[in-house]
Formats: sequence, structure tokens, C-alpha cells
Amino acid sequence: MRLVRVSLIACLLVTGFLLSQVATGDDIADRAKKLHFSTIVLDTHDDTTQRFFSKDFDIGKRNPDGHVDIPRMREGGMNAIFFSIWIDGRIMGPAAVQKALDQIDAVHENVNKYSKDFAFCRTAEEVRRAHAQGKIAALIGVEGGHMIGNDIRVLRMFGDLGVRYMTLTHFYNDEWADSSTAKPEHNGLTDFGKQVVREMNRQGIMVDISHVSDKTFYDALEVSKAPLIASHSSCRALCNHVRDMTDDMIKALAAKGGVIQINYEKSFIDQAYKDAEDKLSGGVVAMIDQLKKECGDNDECMNKKMNEMSEKATAEGKLPHVSWERIIDHIDHVVKLVGADHVGLGSDFDGASMPEGMDDCTHLPRITEALMRKGYSDDDLRKILGGNLLRVMEQNEVVSREMRAAQ
Amino acid sequence: MDGISEHAKRLHFSSIVIDTHDDTTQRFLDAGFDLGARNALGSIDITRMKEGGLGAIFFSIWIPSKIMGPEAVKRALAQIDAVHEQVRKHSSDLMLVTTADGIREARKQGKIAALIGIEGGHMIASDLGVLRRYAALGARYMTLTHSGNAEWADSSTAKPEHNGLSEFGKDVVREMNRLGMIVDVSHVSDKTFADVLEISKAPVFASHSDCRAICDAPRNMTDDMIRALAAKGGVIQINYHIGFLSQEFRNAEKAHPEWDKAIALEVQKRCGDRQGCQLIQGDLVTREYVLRGDLPRVEWTKIIEHIDHAVKIAGIDHVGLGSDFDGANMPFGMEDATKLPQITNALLEKGYSEGDVKKILGENTLRVMAEVEFVSRELNATK
Repeated sequence: MRLVRVSLIACLLVTGFLLSQVATGDDIADRAKKLHFSTIVLDTHDDTTQRFFSKDFDIGKRNPDGHVDIPRMREGGMNAIFFSIWIDGRIMGPAAVQKALDQIDAVHENVNKYSKDFAFCRTAEEVRRAHAQGKIAALIGVEGGHMIGNDIRVLRMFGDLGVRYMTLTHFYNDEWADSSTAKPEHNGLTDFGKQVVREMNRQGIMVDISHVSDKTFYDALEVSKAPLIASHSSCRALCNHVRDMTDDMIKALAAKGGVIQINYEKSFIDQAYKDAEDKLSGGVVAMIDQLKKECGDNDECMNKKMNEMSEKATAEGKLPHVSWERIIDHIDHVVKLVGADHVGLGSDFDGASMPEGMDDCTHLPRITEALMRKGYSDDDLRKILGGNLLRVMEQNEVVSREMRAAQ
Repeated sequence: MDGISEHAKRLHFSSIVIDTHDDTTQRFLDAGFDLGARNALGSIDITRMKEGGLGAIFFSIWIPSKIMGPEAVKRALAQIDAVHEQVRKHSSDLMLVTTADGIREARKQGKIAALIGIEGGHMIASDLGVLRRYAALGARYMTLTHSGNAEWADSSTAKPEHNGLSEFGKDVVREMNRLGMIVDVSHVSDKTFADVLEISKAPVFASHSDCRAICDAPRNMTDDMIRALAAKGGVIQINYHIGFLSQEFRNAEKAHPEWDKAIALEVQKRCGDRQGCQLIQGDLVTREYVLRGDLPRVEWTKIIEHIDHAVKIAGIDHVGLGSDFDGANMPFGMEDATKLPQITNALLEKGYSEGDVKKILGENTLRVMAEVEFVSRELNATK
């Protein structure tokens, strides 16, 4: 067995050497595929959790709609996923806490139900172990600080239940932090908001600055003892959306060891699309308010309608076509700006409108191939696909251990 | 420890002593309480637990039963957090565990096992997802109701509205079986108790109840109930609250409802809204009424009477200890956890064997926990 493995490695090395000598198109496709399906491909933001509450959805089966399920994750080589816990940012207090608990429960129940495919993970090491066992690592992120009910104790209980990042706000301000898509009321983070960040550091819960206002971002950066993540944001230099990060912000994030996980939402990656959509619907918040009137609290319906609206408007020529290659532009922009150590993938699958060619997670290998064609090294690719995020997670774990020990 | 024989001391401190109901959690929420230091008030802290040989404690998560829905969930979470934080803070003395083996392991490491019980089904807000998350956070039993009815189960101290357990209430019991949480029948109505016994696939227990044959309180269990509980392998954990131990005390309390109000008023004056303080001061003010002769004095030996009665009707395998420390009015001589060796001493004097005493002190509870865990594994395997 050992001998077989050694000769296999030797064979791979030789092949790799030869391929690097003659990097023709088809060779790259092959190499990219091999790399993609042998590494950890980690997506930090998926709204699939909302679908767990629909009778028509079964994550174990291939679904005709949506972006994520086990068969398609397998096909797309996506083997680590952060299930997002999300409720409307205007629901606050105890009601928000209970609804968040229900969603955390739904993730655990689904992971238990499909324990042959999923392994619930709380640490980078556990993600690596899951990968080694051929399982999909399932993790939890809470998308919006409003869900802790303004109570640090609830935050700690979320941590104990496996939550590994929290986005400080969603579309609306919460009680202690300003959102990028609402009128500022706290001038960034309040004192309590700073306490939340410190407690997240202590618990090893990564601070996620997607969705927050620029001022909240800089406050969080100053307060946090551990590197931050933007779980699903893109570059404002390429698409001037408040949900995206400016070059200065990306530099500051990187200087502290953090990572920006590129969001695939069309209006965050394509300026022409964003401009046309703004004209059509008055911006993302106005659009969601409109959908809410039609769907009420049914998030499954919200997602469906959002995609239908986008597709219809595109077909009618009211919205431009957006290619999946915009994702590559954003990744490449970050790499040029701060290097390959500070960018990753945060699709927003099942919660956003996907560009053409990235219709679901089965298309992920395209990203690897496109980056390889651009000349990215295997090491850099592994970092972007998941390694960077795991590094940030580990650093957060170290900070947590140190803070607890110092107590 | 005056009057405790060497034999009793040796037996007591070599046994695993488990208390299934302590309201000390409420004190964690009050500023200034330190579980690590010896406290002048109340019954429980690490120092006194060690001195009294208490090896495992269920910290009770409790809010008044009139608080329901999401508010109840949030407050319960805050209390579970308070227990976790105390255990982290005192990790050289305490260890958070969730299984019978966990309790034995803590013992091996020379630590006190800390466990969590939820006192009142109203705290799940009619939501099985919330129940499952409590279990994930370490809760190992849930009392189906407190003093008021839950949305799906009748309490012994409220007007019946569900004729025992509602259909959803039965689902709650089934889910608790699956999760390996002990179903606790203290506080529930007799009909709820009967329904639970029929539905539960695992033994159930009464975490803090006494014998109605000795003290006719609805919170206590009739002989028939105790026998039925035992027939299913369960345990009644004897409560030290004088209003449940002594008929005489109960009669006097009933004869003077105005004292109850006066005591409540005085407690309010001393504590305001601080729940932990209220529970401690309630005990102290009641004691003042006893000392001036208004209410009868109840001795700790009443606890032994209840243990002995339950043993006589249900057998030695179905009785344990559920003090209600820091949440009730303690009898004279059982003011705090340091007095626990007296129970061992008294039972030996009554002629109980060492093995029998060990069962009452903790082994019966460990057996029920292990059986509940076994049923959980079976149910999950056949899913």
C-alpha cells in the first residue's frame, strides 16, 4: 500500500513537472480539476438554512432550484460550508433570540440527519479532519447582531451551540452597531458593541464585518484582538456598492491578518447591473421591502421571487447580463491589492442573485480553473479556496485561548 | 460535625452524593455573589459543598411560570450561561457534565460535578427546537411545569386546563426521551404525572418532591404515585422544604395566610427584584416567624421520615435527595450543604446498610440517568 502511494506521489510529481513545462489549455483544465477536488473548498456564507423550514426542500437530495444541496456540493467539490442564521433585522429582542435558536437547531438537525455526509465543525482542525474523512464540514455563522437580543450572555450561548462567526449587523442597524445600508445612529460601534467584539474574541467567534457601515468596520478593526472576516463582500473599486469594501478597508483588514470572502451577488460585483437595478427598484433594501409585501415571513418565497425578478428583468433587457467571471475580477483585484493571503469565497448562495455561469455550487471548479489560467500558483489557489479562512479561524482560536487563560 | 459517627463520615465521604435540585443559579444573577467563597447566607457554595461531601449538583434554571414565550427562552439562556460561566470560573473545583459517567469521572478528578436542570416547561416556549438546544447546552432534566401550567401540561398548583399532558406535551416527553433528558414530574398535576408515566419510554424522576402521606401538599406524591414511579424504575428525590415536609407547618401556614403576605412584603423590602436574594431572605424571614413562635419549628429529621416512608412503600432503589437548597425554607439542622453527613448518619442509625445508604445518596439517581441515556441511544439508533 505504502509503495503504491509513494509511486503515485512520484507519478503526480512528474506529471506536475511536465504540466508546468507545457501549460496548454486542456492540461490546465485537468490540473485545476485535480487541485479543486483534492483541497478544502470552503464557502463562508450560504442562506440554505432558510430552506430547512420548507417542506419541499431536502438537502440530501438534488433539488431543481436553489444553489446548494449535498449532491451538488459533492459535484462542485464544496466541502466546507457556513450555514447562515438569519432573520429580518427589524425583529429584535427575545423574539429574535428564539428564531435564531430555531435556525441553529435546524442546522444541527440536518447535520445529524445526514451524518454520513456532514460533520459539524467548530474549529479549523475539525474542518481538516472532516475533509480527511471525506465529509462536508458544516459550520454556523449568525448573520446579524440583532439576534443576540442585546445580551452578551445570549452571544456566549450561541458560541456554545457552535456559532463560529457573527456578522455585526444585517441591512438595518442593531442596538449597538451601524449597518452600511441604514442611517447611522451609533457612529459605528457603541461601547456595548465594543464589548460584544471583545467577548467574541474571548469565545473564538470570528467578527464578521460584511454588512456593517465603514465606521463600524474601522471600530471593529481597532477593538478586535483577532483578525476579522468579511464573510460575503466584494470590492467597491469594481462595483460601487456600500455592501462592498473600499481598497483602504481591504488593506486595513489584510494588515490585521483578515480575509475578504468574495460575494457572487450580481449587484455587488457588476457596476452596470447595480446601476440598472438601482434605477429599477431603488436599491437593495427597497427591493427587499417590496418582496416582503408579497412573501411575508416566507424566506423561501423571498429568494425565489428575487431570482425570478432578476431573471425576468434581464430577459426583458432592463438589467444587463452578468458573467460569473466578474467573481474572478474581484478575487484578482484583492490579490493585486494585498496578496493571496487575504481573499476567499463567500458565495451568498441561496440568498442572492447569481451571475450567469455560477447558477449553483456545481460550477465552483470554474473559479479554480480561471484563476489557474491567470497564473495563480497551486498554493495560492488552496489559500483562496479555503486555507486563508482556516488560518483566520485558527488565529481566532489562539486569541480565545489566550484571553481565557489570562482571566 | 458533632454526633456524626466515624462510620457515617467514612461512608458519606466515600459515596457520590448527588443533589438534584438547587436554586443557587438565581444567586449567580445577583451582583456580588461568589460561588467560590464561603458565604454567610444561603446553603450552597464550593467550600460548603466540599465540607458536606456534596459530589454532584443540578443547578436549576428557573423563571416564574407566568413569563412565557420568547422572553422565557432568553431568560433561560441567560441562566444556562450563568452556570457555564461559574463552571469556567471555578474549573479547578467544578466540572460541567451531562451523563452518569461524567459524574463518576468528575469524582475521579476530585471535582464536583455540575449539571443543569430546567425547572418548568414554559421555558421552551412550545418549541421543540428550543428544547433540543437546551439539551445541547447541557440541560439533563426538565420539570414539565412549575407552579403555573405550561402551554401543554398541568401543574399541581394551578387550575387544570389540559387534562394532564396535551398532545404536544406528549411530543415533548418523547423528544426528551430521544435527547436523553430525564423527565421530571415534580410540580406537575397528578394527571400529568399519570400521562407521563404512560408515554415515557425511560424511567422518570421527581427532582424535588416529598410524600403526601406525611404532608398533604399537592406538590408531594401519594403512595400510589411513588409506587407507580418505582415500577417504572424511577426515583423520588426528597425535598427539604418545611412546607412539604411537615403537616403541622403546612397547617399553621394555611391558618395564617396573612403571614405569607407579610413575609413576601418583607422579602420585597429587603431584595427588590433580585431573585436570588428573595429566595435566601424568604428562608430567613420565615425562620424569624418560627423563632418567635408564630410558626412551628421543623427539625431536619423530618427528611429522614420521608426517605424512610418512600423506601418502605417503593423499596430502596427509588429514593434520593433533591434539597431545594437556596430556593426553599430549610428545616432546623439542615441549613446548608455542610449538614448533609447527618442524613448518612441517621440512615445508618436506622439500620440501613452501607449499600442502601449509597443508593439514596446518589447511586439511584446515577442508575436512572444511565437508563435514560440508554433509551436515548436506542431511540436514535432505530431512527
